[in-house]
Parts: sequence; structure tokens; C-alpha cells
Amino acid sequence: MPSNPAGGASVTMTSDPVTSRVDDRLLADLEAVVGEQHVRHTPGDVHPYSRDATPLFSSAPDVVVFPASTQEVAAVLRLATERRVPVVPRGAGSNLCAATVPVRGGIIMVLTRMEQIVEISAVELLAVVQPGVTTAMLADAAAARGLLFAPDPGSRIVSTVGGNVAMCAGGLRGLKYGVTRNYVLGLEVVLATGEVLRTGGRLWKDVAGYDLTRLLTGSEGTLGVITEITTALLPMPQTALTGVAYFPSLAHAGRAVSGIITDGVVPATLEFLDQKCIGAVEDYAHLGLHRDAGALLLFGDDGAPDVVKRNLQRMADRCAAEGAIDITVGGAVAESEALLEARRCSLPALSRLQPLTVLEDATVPRPRIAEMVDRIDQIAERYNLLIATFGHAGDGNLHPTACINPADGDAAVRVERAFGEVFQAALDMDGTITGEHGVGAAKLPYLQARLGADQMALLRRVKAAFDPAGILNPGKLGS
Amino acid sequence: MTAPVTDESARVTSPLTTAVTATADTAGDALQRRGIFTAATLDRCISCGFCLPTCPTYALTKDEKSSPRGRITLMRALETGQLADDDPTLIEEASFCLGCRACEPVCPAGVHYGELIEEWRDHQWRGDQRPLLVRPLMWMVDRTWRYGLAATIRRHALTRRHTDGPHLMLGCFERMLFPRVSRVTRRLRPELDATPIQGCCGALHAHNGELERGRELARELGERLPGTIVTTAGGCAAHLSDVLGRPRVMELSEYLLRQGTPPLTPLLVDGRRARVAIQDSCHLRNGMGVYRESRELIRRVAELVELPHAGTCCGAAGSYSIVRPKDSRRVLAPKLDEIQNAGIDYVVVVNPGCQRQLITGLRRRHSAIRVLHLAELLGMAAE
Ligand SMILES: Cc1cc2nc3c(=O)[nH]c(=O)nc-3n(C[C@H](O)[C@H](O)[C@H](O)COP(=O)(O)OP(=O)(O)OC[C@H]3O[C@@H](n4cnc5c(N)ncnc54)[C@H](O)[C@@H]3O)c2cc1C
Ligand code: SF4
Ligand code: SF4
Repeated sequence: MPSNPAGGASVTMTSDPVTSRVDDRLLADLEAVVGEQHVRHTPGDVHPYSRDATPLFSSAPDVVVFPASTQEVAAVLRLATERRVPVVPRGAGSNLCAATVPVRGGIIMVLTRMEQIVEISAVELLAVVQPGVTTAMLADAAAARGLLFAPDPGSRIVSTVGGNVAMCAGGLRGLKYGVTRNYVLGLEVVLATGEVLRTGGRLWKDVAGYDLTRLLTGSEGTLGVITEITTALLPMPQTALTGVAYFPSLAHAGRAVSGIITDGVVPATLEFLDQKCIGAVEDYAHLGLHRDAGALLLFGDDGAPDVVKRNLQRMADRCAAEGAIDITVGGAVAESEALLEARRCSLPALSRLQPLTVLEDATVPRPRIAEMVDRIDQIAERYNLLIATFGHAGDGNLHPTACINPADGDAAVRVERAFGEVFQAALDMDGTITGEHGVGAAKLPYLQARLGADQMALLRRVKAAFDPAGILNPGKLGS
Repeated sequence: MTAPVTDESARVTSPLTTAVTATADTAGDALQRRGIFTAATLDRCISCGFCLPTCPTYALTKDEKSSPRGRITLMRALETGQLADDDPTLIEEASFCLGCRACEPVCPAGVHYGELIEEWRDHQWRGDQRPLLVRPLMWMVDRTWRYGLAATIRRHALTRRHTDGPHLMLGCFERMLFPRVSRVTRRLRPELDATPIQGCCGALHAHNGELERGRELARELGERLPGTIVTTAGGCAAHLSDVLGRPRVMELSEYLLRQGTPPLTPLLVDGRRARVAIQDSCHLRNGMGVYRESRELIRRVAELVELPHAGTCCGAAGSYSIVRPKDSRRVLAPKLDEIQNAGIDYVVVVNPGCQRQLITGLRRRHSAIRVLHLAELLGMAAE
């Protein structure tokens, strides 16, 4: 992941008083709070926490603590504020923007010991969970009660619900179901100064005060530590079916996507692969894809069987009308699952091409996807890079993925520069620098281009209101 | 603890690449590779964490360092010299890992973790760093004549002929602990040649920090047993196929499915079909992708009961149960619970280490459930 447009993997810092001042006294105090066996501080023990799923970013913390309760979280934060030591909350460390890399050292606070599903209510259609519960654990527990936890990031088997909320994670169902923020009803959160707040609650309607729940959703661990989440659930759709269509070009596929939506269908799945992805997936998984096609579009819906069948037919008809070369509609659930394999294999296939895979994230308005992918291809060619693009056609969220060999001269620097241009291209098209992977340390250098100086300043003031000493995840949002 | 951080940017260093010039600027020392690991394998990991939920040691500790991703991060630090050879965490984690390779099939990037852990131990356990208890074991299996001796004491299968195969490999541990397995196997498939002087496949060496010796032993065995080698030990099968190539190696269940079995009569217990569960061999399942075959065979003679964690390590893990008995039992405990709660008559294994581990564990709990090698189960049905 590139870190700044000038080509440096260093993170630009403002002058900030918070540095890590971890000494024996702090260690002893932390041990008194969480217990000696839940504090790590030797070089080897802390090293595994120096990175997350972001390539090219790494920085070791001084201490790692594993609190088990809200009270322990609060006590650790009070100590840290008092001593001016950075604290970086961490779930599974699966984020892709260096959000958990402790760029200024200090304390990593791992929340995976807090992994209770407190409640699942079919009557109220909600769940209450601790932050360390994984997305898949919650989804499975909900499914066992006939309920759906809608946010489904690709990392669901490992990512935590706390991390999902802190990143406002998206997934494959964004267009029809929205993203994490559409489901968070209430939060328990601990401020850097140790106060425990409850924002929102079990209510769908509640306008008492600023919407702090939404502000905290996507705050990337910079405003508070989330210790409990109340999230909305939905009734489980009865069935889900998928179809696949090949087009001569992405522009054709783009017109089909627009057509599907103006036809009045809001599909649960609308994913695309560009030609380079199709080739890579086919080489890897031998699924029998048409590798000469310019684009592959997966379309699908869920709900009552007759509605789903009808919607799939309408989508298939629209694809045909827009010049699809070949269309298959999965007649049964198993068949549909098999069709989705092409999308699931995208990352595995691409990551096998070269030693280093840089999975990026940018969003443009839906009608401009094809135009954007063209721009990405031009940029890639200019920098002599392999960048394949797949993504969520329904919500304009693209994942251009660069496959490089870092030993190959200045490849890593070329990737940084290329993606700098990709983000600028997205902004030029009224898009954004990240649709779902977040800002973290990796995209902070690009944030001002998206938000402007006034909003950046406001972000800093908001941050200061929540965290006056600036200890929570410094060097990221609000820094 | 000293942590006076002055230059913030200097803390952000690229994991491995000296080629990230911008990083090298700020990180001061460019990171050099020491060549302990195969670069292409180590670089492959994208740190996604998908392997965390499958790792038995991570399940025990919930600490990143005891996870596959964390261990790879540690290996990278060793490779670049960020952590020293004698770092206690490195030493501990190289040994705490079961080497079960459950992290491989789930990895989206196709990281060959098994290769990395072998290279890690090869480096870390040189000389007197090797766990004391493995040394006599390795000595024992290192010379073929020692088996000749053992064979006169234990009655495993033997044939005098010397042909081009297919050969039945007599695993070092199996021929000593469970000699019946090879005898029954030859009753099932009499054409299998069981020459007495075979040698060791070298898996024990490869997994315990003597990678080159481990490969050499496999090659020697391959020369002594030309043609197809059939083995009743999943761990040996995986190591042999790594060195000799997949086509030359067939694990028993694969072989029986291809060549057929003698007529089998279903096994009955109290007038109903026997209820049988299987415990997979880690390397057979995760390294070779073989696990459907044994189930198919069991279904022919009994009711197959799938344990929820049949594919998870039992804690035997080669020499692990000897070197780290306490951790081995911690890994085993939830498995024994599962077995005891499954309402089964037999639990079938396809590797002698698992056989010993489950027998000892169930005996300690005074359980009536019997542990059988797949060959023994089929042997009963063939009688
Ligand atoms: C292969 C792969 C596929 C992915 N697919 C998707 C996808 O489809 N959609 C998507 O949106 N993302 C995706 N991601 C990114 C990532 O998995 C998500 O952002 C996820 O929500 C992160 O969860 P985590 O538990 O790993 O959080 P972490 O990475 O541990 O933390 C992320 C951020 O949240 C903060 N944080 C964590 N827990 C708390 C807490 N309790 N309180 C306060 N702050 C906290 C951290 O400080 C950090 O800033 C993918 C990642 C990978 C590797
Ligand atoms: S699943 Fe594979 S790529 Fe992902 S962290 Fe584990 S070893 Fe690395
Ligand atoms: S081999 Fe087994 S114990 Fe070792 S890291 Fe992989 S899953 Fe964990």
C-alpha cells in the first residue's frame, strides 16, 4: 500500500506531544489492571503486532495488552492519558490501510478476549455483542435463529465486529443492504480519558442529541474504544440465486448495470471482474471462464423464491439486451454458489502472480465504473505495472489490485505513484479515495485532497474533543 | 524497557524489501535478507489473517505470535535480523507450532507454511538447540539396520521378494508400535511388497530441524523401494511426496479406492451398523488434500459419524507429544470431548502418531471407544 504521493513509505507527522513513554512503572501498572499474563513487552512478543494486512507498513509497539472487560479498557486508557502514551485498539488486524500499525509505538490494545455474544433477540431483530466477536461468529449465531447479519466483508471469518464498526466495513451486498453503519443501533464506548458512554441503544428511532453512534462508526480507533455493539439484524432471506454474464467490454457491462437498476431491480449481488482478473482466475482455478471476454458480471438476488427467480430473469434479459456474449443463470442454490467462485477466487488468483499483492480501494459514481477502469489501465501501462480490477459494480466500489515483485527495482515506488494517480482520477470523477478499506496511516496523505482544509481542521477539533491528549491511534484520522 | 521514540518516521519500516527505496531512506539500515527462508515462500503471505481461526495453538492462546500469520511475521524478523536467533519468542514459537499445516488449505495466497516451519527449525534448532527428547528418536530412525533388529522383536509384515513394487512402506513408528497394521494391510492387498530393509522416510528429521537429512533419507528410501510406494502413515506420505513427487506415493486409502478391497461385510454392533468416526492425519489432509477417500471406505462397512473437528490436529504432531506433552494434551482435550460425545463405537486413524495419541488419551479417560487404523477396521470387515 502506498503511503504518500511523494513516494515515501514514511508517515508524515505533525508535531505532537504524544510519544511512547513506556517504562517499568507503566508496565507494572498495566499488569495490575489486566493481570501479568495479559501484558506482553519483550521484543519478540510485541513484534507480531507491528503490522496488519497492509503491505509495506510495519512498526513495533512497546507493549501489548489484552483487557477482558470495559472496566479494564477504561483503566488502561486512564493510565495512557495520564502518561501520554499512544494506544492503538486492535481487533483481528485484518484492515488494509495500516489502521492498527502503531506508527508512534506505545500500547496495542487487543480486544479479542472480549468475545461474548451477549444477546440475540428475534423479537427486536437485534444482537448485542462484545467487540472481539468475529463477523462470522455473529452471522452464524444469527443464522441459527433464522436471522441475517447483513454486513459481509470478505474478511468475515477473521474480522471482528468491533473492527467492522470502527472501519464501517462494507462487503458484497452494499447496494441492497448498505454497509455496517446502516446496522449499528448503539455502542458502548470508552473515551481516552476513561469515561464509559452509551450512545444510541435498542431503538430504530432516536434523535436525542448528535448522532455519536454514526460518528464513532468508521472512526478507526481514534475517538474511543468500542466495548459493546448493539446491531440490527434482518429476517434471513428464503433463498439466494446468482447468474453470470460475459460482455465484450466493461463499458457494455456498465450499461447493463445501469439498465438493471433503472429497470427497478436492486440486486443483492452485482460484482464484476475485468479481463485481467478473468484470466488470472481461470489460470488458477480452471473454472471454464471465457477468458476472451472483456468483463464478467455476477448478478444475484435474495428473498422469496418467486421474486428472486423473476428478478434474475429480468437481469439476464437486460444483460442480453446490452450485448452480453454469454449468460448463465444458476437454477439452484448450489449452482449459484459455484458461479460466485469466480469472484471468491479473484484475490487468491491475483496474489499468486507475484510475491507482493497490493489490494486497493476507490469508489466512483456507478455509471462511471468503465471509464474509471480505463483510467486505471492507462495508469498501470504508463507505470509498467500489472493492475487488475474487480469490485462491486452495484455501488461503484473498485478494487484495483497491483501484483509486483518488490525485488524488481523500483516496483514498490511505481505502485505508490500509480495509485496516487488512481485516487486522483477517482476524485476527478466525484469519487472517493476509499470506499470501504479506510484511511488509517496509509491513506492519510490523500485525505486532504478528498476533504479540503476546512474539513480536515474540523476533524482535528472533533478528535481533540474526544481525546484531548491525542493518545488514541495517533498518526491516523484526526491527526 | 526503553522506548524513547524521537524520529517517528523511522519507526515505519517496510517488512522485507530493501527495494522500497523511500523506506530505506527513513529506516536507516536497509534490511538485508539472511537467506534462512525461501524468499518466494516467505513473501507470499499477505497477512490477511484468514489462517487464524484454523490454528490450534492460536485457539489456545489468542495471541498473534502463536498464530500462523504471527509466526510468519516472526520469521520475517528473523530473516531480516530484526530479531536475533536467540530471541526467546522465536525459540518458543518454532517449537510451540504443531506443524499441522491446518493453516495451508485456508490460505488465499497459497502460502506453503509447512515448508517455512521446516526451514525455520532447520535454522533455529541447529546443534544443541534441538529439543533434547527428539535426539534419541532421530538417532533411532536414522540407520536402517536398527529396524532389522526391531523386526526380529515385533512382528510386522515381511516379504522376502524384491520387486519393482508396489511397495508397502513400513513406517518407523508404526512397525514398532502397531505392527499389526502392516500385516492387515498385506491381507487386504497381498501384492504389496514389504521388504524389511527400507529405511526411514525422514519426516521426523525434516520436521525437527534437519531438513537436508530428512530429504536425503526420503531419497534413499525412494531408491530402495522403486516404483509406487504405498504407506499407511499420513505423515510419511506427505513428506515422501514432497521429496519424491506426488505420483510415486499413495496413501493406503487412495490405493484401496483405486485397486479395490476384498469383499467386505458391514460391521455390526448390537445388531446395528457400527458407528465410526475418523480423525484425519494433518499432513495427509492439509498437505496432500486426501481425506474423502478414507470416509468413502468407512461408509462401505459402517455408519460414518463426522466429528466437527475431524480435520484439526490431535496434538500428536510427529514428535510433539513427546517434546511438549502438556501442550499436546491441551490440544487433545477438546478432541477427546468430541469423540466421547459422538456416540460412536470406533474412531479410525490413518497415521500411527494419531493412533498412539488417541489410544493413550481415551485410555486415560477410561473410555470404551476403540481406536483402529483404517486398515484394521477394513481387515475386520474382510474377515
Ligand atoms: C482479504 C481481505 C478482504 C477484505 N474484504 C473487505 C471487504 O469486503 N469490505 C471491507 O469493508 N473490508 C474488507 N477488508 C478489510 C478489513 O477486514 C475490515 O476493515 C475489517 O472490518 C477489519 O476488522 P478487524 O477486526 O480486523 O479490525 P482491525 O484491523 O484490528 O482494526 C481496524 C481499525 O479498527 C480499530 N478498532 C478495532 N477494534 C476496535 C474497537 N473495539 N474499538 C475501537 N476501535 C477499534 C483499530 O484501531 C483500527 O483502526 C478485507 C481485508 C482482507 C485482508
Ligand atoms: S492465510 Fe495465508 S496469506 Fe493470510 S495471513 Fe495466513 S499465511 Fe498469510
Ligand atoms: S502448522 Fe498448525 S499449529 Fe503451526 S501455525 Fe499452522 S495451524 Fe498453527
